[in-house]
Amino acid sequence: MIYLSLALTLLLTLSSCTNASMQPLPEINNTILKSSTNNREPSLGIKWLASLALYNGKERIELTNLLSRTRVPLPGLNSQDSQPISVSLSADGQRLALIRQRGNRTELLLYRRNFGTLQLLEINPAGIPKKVSIDATGKLLAVQVSRDGYWEVDLLRLPN
Amino acid sequence: MIPLKHLSSHQPHSSPSLSWNGRYLAVIIQRGGKRMAVITDRLSGQIHPLSLPGNKYPIRISLSPDARQLAMELTGKGTSRIELFNLQTIIEPDEPIGIRGSTSLNQSQ
Repeated sequence: MIYLSLALTLLLTLSSCTNASMQPLPEINNTILKSSTNNREPSLGIKWLASLALYNGKERIELTNLLSRTRVPLPGLNSQDSQPISVSLSADGQRLALIRQRGNRTELLLYRRNFGTLQLLEINPAGIPKKVSIDATGKLLAVQVSRDGYWEVDLLRLPN
Repeated sequence: MIPLKHLSSHQPHSSPSLSWNGRYLAVIIQRGGKRMAVITDRLSGQIHPLSLPGNKYPIRISLSPDARQLAMELTGKGTSRIELFNLQTIIEPDEPIGIRGSTSLNQSQ
């Protein structure tokens, strides 16, 4: 009886866990993503991928169109005097939320691709942002913030 | 707060990523001394462990909003690299609300 109940428990545990086999996307992995070294911090939209990539010893934000397998220019986003820390992309690839280090300041920003504008977002009460996540609609941000020695998460509603 | 009962014994967890309607949660967990990525289906209760080839392990993951693709930052041999995977052989998509095939979850799920 004990063996039977153990077997049943094992069966129930295994039935909630399926062994999955993902299919790599070699046409993207072996072309566009292989061309830059030390790619990190992926953020997926629908048909879009944002990431941080290292070029000539400096990181920059990159956006890849997964349908055309091409890099998309981000005018005004990457600058020589700043270092990106975290990036997150809306589903349509139009809005990028980012955190960057510029001098001794750590800034939270929103980049709108359709306008090519970069907007500094205020963190109130003041804190140091570390990670950012934008929701699929591009209207809500979750930001991990260091404040008075504690890690907190702030939610920020963004204007249209 | 919604507890993740199936994952509670596989801590620490990192890099959470949700699909459009919150049906799927992709997360990195600890299992048997190894870091591994899993996708939990909050509708069916199933957990999908995602096995990786070679001596690579996941650092950060990002689930596409429709849950059709997963991007993984993988490390191995001292470098990190992003690779993309198709999930359509494993899970059905999670479409936005209002689109056919979209998922509705109760708050308690």
